[in-house]
Amino acid sequence: MEPLNAINEISKNSDLQDSLYPKRKVSFLPLWRTIFKNIRDYSFFIHQLSRLAIIGDFKRSNIGITWLFIAPIFSVIMWVFFNSAGILDPGDTGIPYPAYVLLSSSIWGFFVGMYQKASNILISRRNMIITTHFPHEVLVVERALVHLIRFIIPFLINIIVLLLFGVRFNLIALIFPFTLLPLMILGIAIGLIVSLLRVVAVDIAKIFDSGIGFLMFLTPVIYAPKIDISWLSPIIKFNPLTYLIGFSRNVLTQGNFYEPVPWAICTLLSLIFLLIVVRIFFIAESKVVERFISI
Amino acid sequence: MIKPLLSVRNLHKKFSRDIKYNLYYGLQGIFADTVGFKTNYMKLRKKEFWGLANINLDLYPGEILAVVGANGSGKTTLMRLISNIYHLDVGSITGQPSQKITPVFSLAVGMHPLFSGKENIYIKGSMYGMTKSEIDAKMDFIKEFSELEDHLDEPFGNYSSGMRARLAYAIALATDPNIFIIDEALAVGDSVFKAKCFENMKDFVRQPNKAVIFVSNHIRKVLMVATRVLVLNKGQLIYNSTDIKEALNFYILNCLDHLEEEQKQIQLKIVQEYDL
Repeated sequence: MEPLNAINEISKNSDLQDSLYPKRKVSFLPLWRTIFKNIRDYSFFIHQLSRLAIIGDFKRSNIGITWLFIAPIFSVIMWVFFNSAGILDPGDTGIPYPAYVLLSSSIWGFFVGMYQKASNILISRRNMIITTHFPHEVLVVERALVHLIRFIIPFLINIIVLLLFGVRFNLIALIFPFTLLPLMILGIAIGLIVSLLRVVAVDIAKIFDSGIGFLMFLTPVIYAPKIDISWLSPIIKFNPLTYLIGFSRNVLTQGNFYEPVPWAICTLLSLIFLLIVVRIFFIAESKVVERFISI
Repeated sequence: MIKPLLSVRNLHKKFSRDIKYNLYYGLQGIFADTVGFKTNYMKLRKKEFWGLANINLDLYPGEILAVVGANGSGKTTLMRLISNIYHLDVGSITGQPSQKITPVFSLAVGMHPLFSGKENIYIKGSMYGMTKSEIDAKMDFIKEFSELEDHLDEPFGNYSSGMRARLAYAIALATDPNIFIIDEALAVGDSVFKAKCFENMKDFVRQPNKAVIFVSNHIRKVLMVATRVLVLNKGQLIYNSTDIKEALNFYILNCLDHLEEEQKQIQLKIVQEYDL
């Protein structure tokens, strides 16, 4: 038997100095430089994962990606039905109510979808994470890309429906895709924080999930921003999503900018929030990975 | 003097035995790291234990280093640390600049049953960080090594476990690593393919700056391929020898450590009969 000190003797002989895994720098510039480099180096992986996510779901279906068109059509029918049955009294929406709610819920869905995708990146890919080393920012980019692609098709259907309802667009509507960026940033930021909590504090993550669902009722999505309910009005006023969603909606449907100053402030705050969250995420995620249980 | 490809020094890793404590410490860790609190990693908290303690090892070019140990001894944890999957809290892992490590923990991970074998080559290859042109350049090698050329357009889900292993192993090999880590990944596959893999392993380490870490408790296989054996027990490296047979005997005896001497000898004889 070779005793333990034989092992220790080996350990003294090494003169390798290059750490294979230097600590990730988390100060602003080096962090973002590394993130962009990793995204570029793993761009083919991002492409493959996105392809998997989009095509994979429909591989077993006979009608394939046609499902991307069917789901929003059902959504349109549902809201038209609610409106014609007089179930909802939304206040003054400026455009036909089904068109209003369709567009608002679509923008809301974009935000929530981004949150859900980001908040599940660690858990949903845990088998991959635990067996292969790769930079996890590629998962965030893949999720965002897939979400954008999945949003475009139902959204184009919504545009057709809006035209059928008599909504007319002007040139300002062309900036609509850019107005979605703050919602995307906010969705990713909240999602990344929850993705860490989903591993180590499941209950808090569930509270966030429920909270986001409930938040829809505190945001003018299915009713107008000027709704007159005493307890709800202040909440709407201080809810950043009121401005982020309202701005996008008005750009498209009315050709004007809804509350531009609060919108700009909320956009800036969302961006600052994302920068802070990204730093926290990359400090904490490597340590959270070892907390994955039963893999 | 030959420089090692990889040097591990003073490596420690702790885990919690209790799920709730595990998650609680994780949450505590996120908070501490975020606000910059310094914590003493070397202190065990309630319900914690050392998954790995004071591990020191060198891996030299040309070696097939077998790592054996009873279940829960820390083999996979060590491999995950060496592969940069787990965060390094205490200790160092040094190596030669820009060397590549490819670990194979589970052959099926990253492979998708609804996609064809060929599509899976691109998926899994990209997961290892390969670009499309790098994968294209290795396509012939993967087809030839896996011997699955006629099946590559079929869905991966239709493959037998042996065929899956062939394809996944061939893709990992195509990454052309300096250090190839195989963690219990060759438990499946037919005998002919396994023999091919072991022969390939020997050829692989004959190339300059190449080595294999082979984690397995199949002692007969270790006996056939390993050039050195490390034995882990409860997170500690307790044996390191190039005398493979003796090292394996030590490992078996260590697994039987809880038995009385007489029973130990009986069990040892049985295990040797079956495995050696």
